[in-house]
This record gives sequence, C-alpha cells and structure tokens, in this order.
Amino acid sequence: MNGIFTKLREASVSDLIGLALVGLVVVWLVVNFVKDPTAFVNTGLIGLTNGTIFGIVALGYTLVYGILQLINFAHGDVFALSGLVASTVIVSILGLDEGASVMFIIGGLVVTLLVIMVGFALFNASIERVAYKPLRKAPRLAPLITAIGVSFIVQNIGLAVYGVNYRTVPNFIPRTDVISIGDISYSWSKASVLIIVIPLLVVLSWFVRSTKQGKAMRAVAQDTEASAMMGIDVNRTISVTFLLAGALAGAAGVIYLLQFNMRYDTGFELGLIAFTAAVLGGIGNLTGAVLGALIIGFVQAFNEGLGWLAPGSDWTRTMVFGILILILVFRPEGILGEQTPEGA
Amino acid sequence: MTNLGTRARSAVGNRNAVAVVVLVVLALIYPTIVESLSSLPLIGDFVPSTDSMVVMVVFSTMAIGLNMVVGYAGLLDLGYVAFYAVGAYTAGWFASQQFDQWSFQFGSVGVGASVPGIHISMWVVLLVAGLLTMVAGILIGLPTLRLRGDYLAIVTLGFGEIVPQFVRNADNVGGFDLTHGTFGISPIDSLGFGAIGAAIGLPESFRQSSQRAEWYFWIAVLILLITVFCSVRLRDSRLGRAWIAIREDETAAAAMGIPLMRTKTWAYAIGAFFGGVAGAFYASFKGGAFPADFYFNISVFLLCMVILGGIGSVWGVLLGGMILGYLNVEGLATIGSKIQQSGIPKLDGFDPTKYQFGIYGIIIVLMMLFRPTGLIPERRHKIEMAEGVHDTPFYDAQHEGTLTDRDSSDD
Amino acid sequence: MALKTKGMFLVGLLIALLALVAAGCGGSDGGGAPEALPSSSCTAIEYEGDGDPDYLVVSDLPLQGASRTQTIQIANAIRYELKKANFKAGDYNIGYQSCDDATAQAGKWDSGKCSQNANAYAANDKVIGIIGTFNSGCAGIIIPVVNQAPDGGIAMVSPANTYVCLTQGGPGCDTTEPDKYYPSGTRNYARVVANDAYQGGADAEFAKSIGVKNVYILNDKEAYGLGVATNFRGAAESLGIKIAGFEAWDPKASSYEALFGKVKASGADAVFLGGLIDENGAQVIKDKVAVLGPNTGVKLLTPDGFALQGTIDDAGPASAGMYMSVAGQPIDQFTGEAKDFATNFAKDFNGGKQIDPYAIYGAQAAQVMLTAIGASDGSRADVIKQVFATKVEEGLLGSFAFSANGDPQEASGAVTAIVIYKATDKLETVKVISPNQATVDAALGK
Repeated sequence: MNGIFTKLREASVSDLIGLALVGLVVVWLVVNFVKDPTAFVNTGLIGLTNGTIFGIVALGYTLVYGILQLINFAHGDVFALSGLVASTVIVSILGLDEGASVMFIIGGLVVTLLVIMVGFALFNASIERVAYKPLRKAPRLAPLITAIGVSFIVQNIGLAVYGVNYRTVPNFIPRTDVISIGDISYSWSKASVLIIVIPLLVVLSWFVRSTKQGKAMRAVAQDTEASAMMGIDVNRTISVTFLLAGALAGAAGVIYLLQFNMRYDTGFELGLIAFTAAVLGGIGNLTGAVLGALIIGFVQAFNEGLGWLAPGSDWTRTMVFGILILILVFRPEGILGEQTPEGA
Repeated sequence: MTNLGTRARSAVGNRNAVAVVVLVVLALIYPTIVESLSSLPLIGDFVPSTDSMVVMVVFSTMAIGLNMVVGYAGLLDLGYVAFYAVGAYTAGWFASQQFDQWSFQFGSVGVGASVPGIHISMWVVLLVAGLLTMVAGILIGLPTLRLRGDYLAIVTLGFGEIVPQFVRNADNVGGFDLTHGTFGISPIDSLGFGAIGAAIGLPESFRQSSQRAEWYFWIAVLILLITVFCSVRLRDSRLGRAWIAIREDETAAAAMGIPLMRTKTWAYAIGAFFGGVAGAFYASFKGGAFPADFYFNISVFLLCMVILGGIGSVWGVLLGGMILGYLNVEGLATIGSKIQQSGIPKLDGFDPTKYQFGIYGIIIVLMMLFRPTGLIPERRHKIEMAEGVHDTPFYDAQHEGTLTDRDSSDD
Repeated sequence: MALKTKGMFLVGLLIALLALVAAGCGGSDGGGAPEALPSSSCTAIEYEGDGDPDYLVVSDLPLQGASRTQTIQIANAIRYELKKANFKAGDYNIGYQSCDDATAQAGKWDSGKCSQNANAYAANDKVIGIIGTFNSGCAGIIIPVVNQAPDGGIAMVSPANTYVCLTQGGPGCDTTEPDKYYPSGTRNYARVVANDAYQGGADAEFAKSIGVKNVYILNDKEAYGLGVATNFRGAAESLGIKIAGFEAWDPKASSYEALFGKVKASGADAVFLGGLIDENGAQVIKDKVAVLGPNTGVKLLTPDGFALQGTIDDAGPASAGMYMSVAGQPIDQFTGEAKDFATNFAKDFNGGKQIDPYAIYGAQAAQVMLTAIGASDGSRADVIKQVFATKVEEGLLGSFAFSANGDPQEASGAVTAIVIYKATDKLETVKVISPNQATVDAALGK
C-alpha cells in the first residue's frame, strides 16, 4: 500500500493523466464486453485483421526511421501503388477470377505476392537513391520535405495510371468460417491475412537478428559513424533497409487489395495511421510497430463497432491522430521506446 | 563586416521601397488593363483574370505567414491549413446566418435588417479571425513545440487532419450546431464600405457591386502588403533575430538566454495570425467555409510555395506564391486546354490539373535536390545551407536520446 | 549574388509594368461575341448556328469521378436539345458551355470549384441560364451567388438536385433554409425532379411492401445523403417501420465491417444507404454483404446516388439483389416524346447503348431553359420569370408546372414517379411508385 503511494507521488502529472485515460478506456471496454460479448469478440477480430495490415505497413516506417531518422512520407503511397499494380497483375496479366481452380488461385496469388514484393523493393530502393541519398548531409528537415514531394509524385503515378475510381479484385478467399462459436465467426478471408503476415514477420525477424546484413542494419541504427569505422558499408545497408521496407509495402498492398477497394490516395490515409502505429509502439522498434498497429486496429474497430458510448466512424481519424498527439506529448518514446537501440 | 551588412541592408531597404511602389501601382491598374492584356496575341490566354488574382494573392499571404514559422523559426508546420480553417470558420460564425438563434448586426453590409444570425462588419471579423487563430496557434503550440523538428511536423500534421474532421462533425456538439457539418457555412457576408462609403461613391457591398472582383483584389493586395511589411519588420526585430538563432542552433540560442518555448510560440502565433486573416478574407470572397476545403494537400501546397520561392525570403515566397497560385487557379488548366487544341494525338485527353499535386511534388523534390535555397534565396539561409547548421544532421552518430528537448532550457 | 538576383527581379518587374501600361493604351473592343467562361472549368463555347451567339447557357456538373457516367449524359442531352433547336431560343442565338464542378483529385464535386464557377457566371453578363447542378451540396453554394448576380440574378434549372430544403423549409431543414439561398428575396431556382421527400417516401413504401420491419439507416453526412436518409426515416416511421439506427459512414475509412457488426447486433432486417456511390459506396456494399449476408436476406435499399451501372460494376457480386430508386419512368418503359428522345439520343450520343435515367432530366431541363429564354425579353430577370411561368404538357417527363418554390407541381407522369430497380447484372425494373401524399408529408417531418 505504502509502495503504491510512493510510486504515485513520484509519478509526474502527465503520467497520471495518461494512466487515467488508459483507465477510462479499460472501463469502457469492459462495459461493452459485458453488454454484448459476441459483438465485442467479432469486432475484436476485425480489429486484429486490420491491425495486422497496419502493422506490416508500420514496419516499413519504423525500419527506415531506425536507420535514417527519416519519416519516409512516401511509404504509404508506395504501398498503395503496389496494391494497384497488384490488381493489374491479378486481373489483367494472370486473369484470375473466382471460377478458377483453387490451386491456380493460390499459385497466382503467391506469384503476385512475390512479383510485387520484389518489384516494389527495387522501386523503394531507387527512390532512396534518387531522392534521399543526395541529402545525407543536409539539415534533417530537407529529406523530410523531399519525402513529402516524393509521396505526391508516387500518388500521382497511381492517379495517372489507374484514374480516380476504386480498384478491386474478385473475392478469391471465401468468406466461409474457419471457426465459429455461436455467433462469433472467424472467416478464411480474415485468416488469410495472418496466414500471409506471420511467415513474413518470422522471416523479417530472422533476417534482422541472424544475418550479417541484419546485424549491419542494427549496428548502423545504433551508431552510424562507429559502424562505418568498423567497416560496415553504410550506403549498402541503407539500400537494403529500403529494399526490405519496399518489399513489406508490396506485401501489404497485395494483402490489402484482397480485402478492400483501393485507389490512388488510399496510401496517404493508411500511411498516416501506420505511422501513428509506429510512433505509438516506439518508432525504430520492430516489435513496437506491430504492437502499436494492433492497438490502433482495435481502437478503430471498437470505436466503429461497439454499441455503448462509441463515437462512431465519423471520429475514427480524430481518435487516431489524437492518440498520435497524446503519445508524442506525454510519452514520445512510445510504449516500447526504451528498448530501441537508439533509445535512451 | 558590420559596415558591409548595414550598407547591404539599407540598399535592400531602398530596393524594398521600390518594389513596394511598383507592386502597388501594378495592383491599382491591373483590373483596368487585364482585359486588354488578355486580348494580346500568344500570351493573352495566359493572363490571369482579376478573380484568379484574388486567390493567388490570398494564398501568397498565407505562404508568407507560413514562412514566418518555417522560414524564420525553422519549425516545419505541416498543418497550416488548420489556421486557414479557423480563420474561415470565424468569419462564418461572426458574419453569416449560422447562429440564427441570435440576431445581432454591427456594421455589416449587404444584409437585410430582418436577416437572423450574427453579422459583424467583415473588417472587424478579419481582425477577430486573426486574433482567434493566434489563440488557436498558441493552444496547439504550447504542448507540442517542445518536440524535435520532424516530430513537430507530424504533430502539426495531426492537427491539420483533426481540424477538418472536427468541423465536419461539429454540427452537433452536445446538441449545438457549431459548424453545420458537411454543408459548411454559407453564405458568408461580403466586405464593403457600407452606407458611409456609398455616400462618397465607393461600393456599399462588394458582392452586390459590379466591381466585386476588383475591390476584393485591391483589399487582398492591401492585406498582402501589411503582411509583407510585418514580415520584414519582424525579421529584423529582436524577436526575428531570436527565431533565426533558434533555427541555426537551438542549444546555443538557449545558452545565450533566448527563451526557447516563448520564442517558438510567438513564431507559431504570428504565423497563425496571418493565416487566420487570409482564411477569413478568402471565406468572404468565396462566400462560404466548407470542411472539404481544408485538407492536407493545401498545407503542402503552401509549403511548396515557400520552398520554391526561398525558405525565409519574403520576396521569394511572394514570387513562389504567385507562380504556384497562378498554376493552381488558372495556369495548368490553360496549359491543358492549349495542349488539347494543339491536336497532338498522344496528348489527347491529357489534363495537367489532374496532376497538379504531382507537379508540386516534382517541384519540391527538384528544388530540394538542386536549389534548396529557392528562386530568391535569403542571404542567411543560403549561408546555412552552404556551411551547414548545428542541427541534428541527417544521420547522426550521437543521438540525443530523447525525442524532445524538454531538458534544454525553458522559460 | 542575392542582391543581384533581387535587382534583376526589380528590373524585370519594371519592364513588365511598362509593357502592361503600353498594352493598356491599346484599349479594348467591346461588343460582338460573348466572352467565354474560363477554360479552367468550362469547355470552349459550343455554337453551330448563324453568326455569333447572343447569350450563353451553361451547365454545372461534376464531370470527373464515378458520377461522370451520368453527368456526361446530362451534358450530351443538353447538346442534343440545342442541336435540335438549331442553337436558338426564340429569336436569340444560344451558345453552350459545359462547366465542371469536380476536381480530379477528389473525384467528386468541390466546394471551391462550385463557388469559383458561380462567381464566373455572375460576372459574365452574357450568361443567361444555368442548367445544374448535379449535387445538392454544390447547388447550395451556387444559388446564393447567382441569385445576387447583377441584372436580377441568373435563372437556374436543376435536372438532379433532390435535397428538399433548397426550395422549401420544414421541420427537417434549418430555420434559415431555404431563404438563405435567396438573399435577394427573389427565387431564381427551379428543378425538374421531385425532391427527396418523394424518393424517401417511395423507398419507405417499397420497404414496407417487401416486409421490412426494422431498418438501419446509414448516410454520408452530405447535403444529399443526409437529406434523403432523413426523409426516408420520417416516412418509414410513419409506416410503422422501426428505425434500428441512424448513423454516418466515413468515406475515407478503408473498411466498414465493424460498422456492419453494429448493424448486425441491432437486429435490423434492412439497411438504407443515403449517399453516393462516389463516397466509397462499393466498399460499403461489399462489407454489408460480408457481415450481414446476401441482399436477399437482410435487404439493401439505396436512393438514386447508387442507381447507376457503375455501382454494379464496382461492387461486383455483392450488389446482386440490392434495390435502387430513381425518380422518373423506367428507362425501358418510356412512351411518347420520351421514347423518341431515348431512341435518338442513344443513337446520336451514346453509341446505341441504353441511356442513363438522368439523360432525360438533362434534356427536360434544357427544354425548360430554352423555352423560357425564347419567351423572355432577353434580360436575366425576365428569364427567371419565364422559367417559373413554364408549363410542360406531355413533355419528356409528363406534364407539370413549377410552384412558387421551384418544385414541380400539378404533375402527372414521370416527374413524381419513383422507379425501384433491382441490381442483377444490370438495373432491372421492379416497380414504379407514386408515394401517397401522407407518406411524403411524413418524409418532410410534417
């Protein structure tokens, strides 16, 4: 008891406000769960699915930020363009439709995924070469402003090629249930997101932890000059980082396209959400990005789907950016911030 | 060195005076000559109408306001559109039928005596809008200005996203209709000289006069001149030098006793003031304020004006603002229709207005890569670019550890 | 270097000034052909008659985005009528400009564009009539500006605005509506389409007839979408249908599954969407089917914002079985003048393909406008008077006159009828409903 009081006394005002906010949210969730458990779980599953997609985009932001301390504004737009290109690959080049055989569909989607990941890895790395590399020595706001410019250019490539209307692909993945308990259901189309993302995360984590290149990335993130002195090729490492981020954006684009409609500006909105997720988790921290994205996914779904005192979809963006501002003001290092290599 | 600086400054001062005179004369005669200009061969079709000139001048005014935040103080603001929104909605609140539960008129023009709602003279509203926006700037600035550069940019972007959604949804704040939702507030009252002006032959209300565009244009130029004047004077003031010191080296500035937070907040507030005035003026010119007007692209558009013209350079930003403003309201469309008429089959159906933000993106990237100081570089900024500043460099060996500078001196 | 640049800039300015003044002395030649509206929004003047046009008629429509399929046909219908009349209204030669109130980035109407267009019309004294707008939100911006235009305001006839409060007040409107749209005190706006009280009423009666008991209403918060949703709510309540919920959808959201989860929990047996297909409508429809099942189970009702082929193309199989309503006669059941129009128009302008329901409204609006100009003394004020005095007998949309508000009245035929379509692979006519006056009143909140 005494311990708690000492702790409370030590906590600053901002910590207390933060704790109070979190407490209110928990109460709100519990009440909603008690009122309608089925709807709560179903909504939670939607949040899990969307959060996973945000997560894979957020990883791209966090990887680049970890190395360059650059908010790569264009990342969201690279993601959207990859989805649009994927729609061409699926519909026009491979000619997949719902009537095709299961093997053909799965094969086609895997091929699309690989082609898009490789293509957009290269695309992202060339953006870095052309637009960011010449600015390595410039004041740090210069590349950020450049990234905004690149973001608009990439968006307009999408607009020029695909026009202003939404693009979509047929429902390849059936909406039938994997599991259903009572009215709670988890469909294959939701499960497919996890089925694609989890292996990707495992590979990414192995790459960053265990390969030579991954170790180089972590070293550069920690201390660029020292790693350069130790013989690490910094430029190459930065290129690899952008390749990785581009591949993740490509994967996210394909996954997103299989679930939702997309158009040229989808990436801007989603990019901001994913960026918020990365900041929430602690930017530069890979686990943090995924955790932050899941939280944002749940926030969004619960806000839109719960019946009791939820502000509704009108306010989703306000809530997401509100979280962003609160986090930056109260806890700029994010939830897992201290564990980042470059953290305090 | 000092001697040289003073001499250079007084020379610049003279040139500034000449420039102002030229601008004023140009502005006075522009509406009368625009018609004959547009009948010129070849370039005639590219001459902006007086209506378009109003929009160009308004956006240039906002760009100069933004330049005080970004250019002088080095605070990247990606949500400047929020100030434009606050200004426009202030005009809506105090000079339209939005609050029809109250009836109050004070010096308004072109509004029947029986029309409900608050109608305060638009001249007063312009000032009120500036002040309210200033307050909004301070409120946004206080918690966020401690953040480091790129984080500040993101937070301002967050506000820039929240404000439009708020005005879209705030048609029912506890049952009170604050913003009228997606319908926006319209019509907003016109500027005008009222009965007194009418007595000496000036238009009572611009909107009902046959010279609506002309008068709005002249007033827009007046506001622009005031903004330029304040901007130039502020730059050379104690406060302006403090901003530049912060931009160049925050730690050293703090060590020299410059109160960081207060100085930054002032930059934010004053930049906001001009955004608010311009926003209110534009709302009156357009006759309405709508939530769809305030989206992120506008913030980037204004930023692009600053970068094209020259970060920190008032005349540069003015030039950048006029160029991009022209492309935005008329230029790209005119170029597009010329391309259509040229009959080149490959370009059939090519519409450059569709890609305007792509074009601005290209301008931003090219400028940052090849001429980061802009078309008319500001002297100091140029030196900074050449010699580097004590800013956290792009990639940095020693990280400061925390993302804020809350541990560095504060007032 | 900096000083040098500045100096050059000043010299440049001075030269420019001199050039301008010199050019200014040239003077201008007034009279003759009308000055065209700016090419930033409008096509060049289209005129194929003799000599120069005396006046301009403009159309103000969103020509980009998903509505384009409809609006392009409205503009073509106006061209068709002008050609038929030999670009003449009475003794006056009439030129036409088609103006766009949408931006490419948004893919839908834009308030800045609307206001810019409106001021351009008001400032050009040759513009004598406006056909438009398509979106009620844009109409709310344009009407007050052109209402105060010099020479008594400009007449405006809309082929598509259905938002009730543009012309009449009532419990569902603001207290300042509709007067705030007409600051000069004179009405200058009429429409050849029945307002949403009719559509909302017809949709509610239809819902009742297919056994809907509990409906969840979603809207896009825009003037049109929120308006028709409110009208539908009023009418549905009066018919004893329970309202399970009334909520907005955010067009910028990526997914609406959570939203439909809430709808599911409410136990609704039908969903009504007040809004436009442009507002991410295809995703809304898909997620509705994903969460609530096919439209044969939980019904999906939509107003004319969704009633186009594009909805079926974009939403794919998810659109199967959804209902869409449009004012007017079914496109496959036209008779008389309308039938001739549909055949000839399809041949001349539509490559022989079936025309969009809105083409005929465009043609009717153009006819009303041309007749009124022909009967007028050539002043803007008189054209307005003549528009309100127009009586259409057995016209494209049946017979009707305009009330003092500018709504069609004394109507028989298509103008107050609402067609309900069902989506298969195309729009299939289900039923034509002329709603009861009681339902219409209930829709208005009376």
